[in-house]
Amino acid sequence: MAEEMGKKGIPVLPGLVHEAVGPDEKPYLIGGKCKSCGKVTFPKTYVCSVCMTEGSMEEVPLSTRGAIDTFTVIHVAPLGFKAPYVQAFVNLPEGVRIFSLITGCDPLQNDLKDGSEVELVIEKIREDEKGNDLIGYKFRPVKK
Amino acid sequence: MREVVVLGVGMHPFGRHPDKGLADLAHVACWNALRDANVPARDVQVAYLSNSIGGLITGQEGIRAQTVLGPNGFGGIPMVNVENACASGSTAFRGIWLEIASGLYDVGLAIGVEKMHLEDRARTISALISISQIELSKLGMQFAGEAAMRCKRYMRRYGGTKEDLALVAVKNSYNGSLNPYAFHRKPYTLEEVLNSTLIADPLHLFMTSSIADGAAAAILCARDVVKRYETKHPVIVAGCALMSGRFRESDPLDTDVESTITLTAKEAYSQAGMEPKDIDVAEVHDAMSPIELVSTEDLGFCGKGEAIRYLKEGRTKITGDIPINTSGGLCSRGHPVGATGIAQIAEIVWQLRGEAGQRQVKDAKVGMCEDSGGVLVNGDNAAFTNVILKR
Repeated sequence: MAEEMGKKGIPVLPGLVHEAVGPDEKPYLIGGKCKSCGKVTFPKTYVCSVCMTEGSMEEVPLSTRGAIDTFTVIHVAPLGFKAPYVQAFVNLPEGVRIFSLITGCDPLQNDLKDGSEVELVIEKIREDEKGNDLIGYKFRPVKK
Repeated sequence: MREVVVLGVGMHPFGRHPDKGLADLAHVACWNALRDANVPARDVQVAYLSNSIGGLITGQEGIRAQTVLGPNGFGGIPMVNVENACASGSTAFRGIWLEIASGLYDVGLAIGVEKMHLEDRARTISALISISQIELSKLGMQFAGEAAMRCKRYMRRYGGTKEDLALVAVKNSYNGSLNPYAFHRKPYTLEEVLNSTLIADPLHLFMTSSIADGAAAAILCARDVVKRYETKHPVIVAGCALMSGRFRESDPLDTDVESTITLTAKEAYSQAGMEPKDIDVAEVHDAMSPIELVSTEDLGFCGKGEAIRYLKEGRTKITGDIPINTSGGLCSRGHPVGATGIAQIAEIVWQLRGEAGQRQVKDAKVGMCEDSGGVLVNGDNAAFTNVILKR
């Protein structure tokens, strides 16, 4: 992915995203699910914080669609990011709340709402110091 | 456990001190505290030094307690380096409290110091962002944005306007204008707060804590050795609680689940044998000033959804029945991360001794300091402290 102009695409952090292999597959976020109580986490964890028994967590693919819980427009960006942009917590049907940037919308238009439906996209988060693309996940509004 | 008292407190004024390093800032706070306590430096048997981002800022990643306190004359005693995000200072305070309460030592120093102003401001911001879990920071979390979303969840559940949120900064900037140790000493009007730079909707610049250099220190001792010293009124540590954040799937603002602020406070209340109504004055962690409203409710000073009304009625002003952030809070005093927790202790000690000058709360007998710092991947803070002091 993102092999353009000789630049390399590097995961911004390992272990968060399952990248699509082949045309039939879609990328997804890698969650953890407790085999005894069913609690789902993102990122995946070793031990369920409810049951606290070892070996109860298994890796699960998370839904690629969810709804915005809350969002805000960032007007002063950290290093490597460009304001204005939207950051949010997204609720997935599994009952897990995920931090994400929201792409595919104009931050200065009031077209996002709490509860807006969003879908997963895998794209560049920012560039590293060598100009490589750091690839991660974001969500974008689902086109009606 | 033995009863422990605060014998003395001292600060280096918070602000921009480009010519001073960690040891210079710590020197002033440490020796102000020793003089205030009237305790000879030689009597200090144990020291905890809190600092959060000094490694990234100064390059001194390890052993900051030893390298900061060494030039200030201390050596050959147990020293512990403390990092716990915005709760670092109060965590160091708790460490010294435990060392003395346990009976191991009689006299100890808790000191917090932070150097944040650099020519390269981007380096400071990057260091600050590293206090959030990297699954947030690497994905683009801007820390004011996390608080901004919490404000929006608050308004979604309980109502309130952006103007209401800005009133916290109006109150606290007035308090800060009366505090000689505060970085910003200008009282802001509502218009000035709302016209300051928009950082992350609904938060404007004057509603956010500022990067600052500074230090704060406290000398603690066992109550049964107080008589050794010709000292002012010792202030008793009635409760001292520390708790980590929890992995959770929803925000307490959306549910009726108790927040970690509440759980930490409950432990301190229980140790002190007190209830919220016993608190006369409180310093709460308002890294973004409207979060003071959430703390006011979570600490039990008013019911859920009532904090804006309390604020508007003046009940949290210096002259109110539950004055909050008489020092000016983090937005006016400034927020040198590792020093903030002990600066809160200093403010409450001054209040309980009747030494707070124009900020003095009438006849304050019991005070509370609350800190919450760092952000975990699911949005809870990472480190929570709650200290109850009484005279």
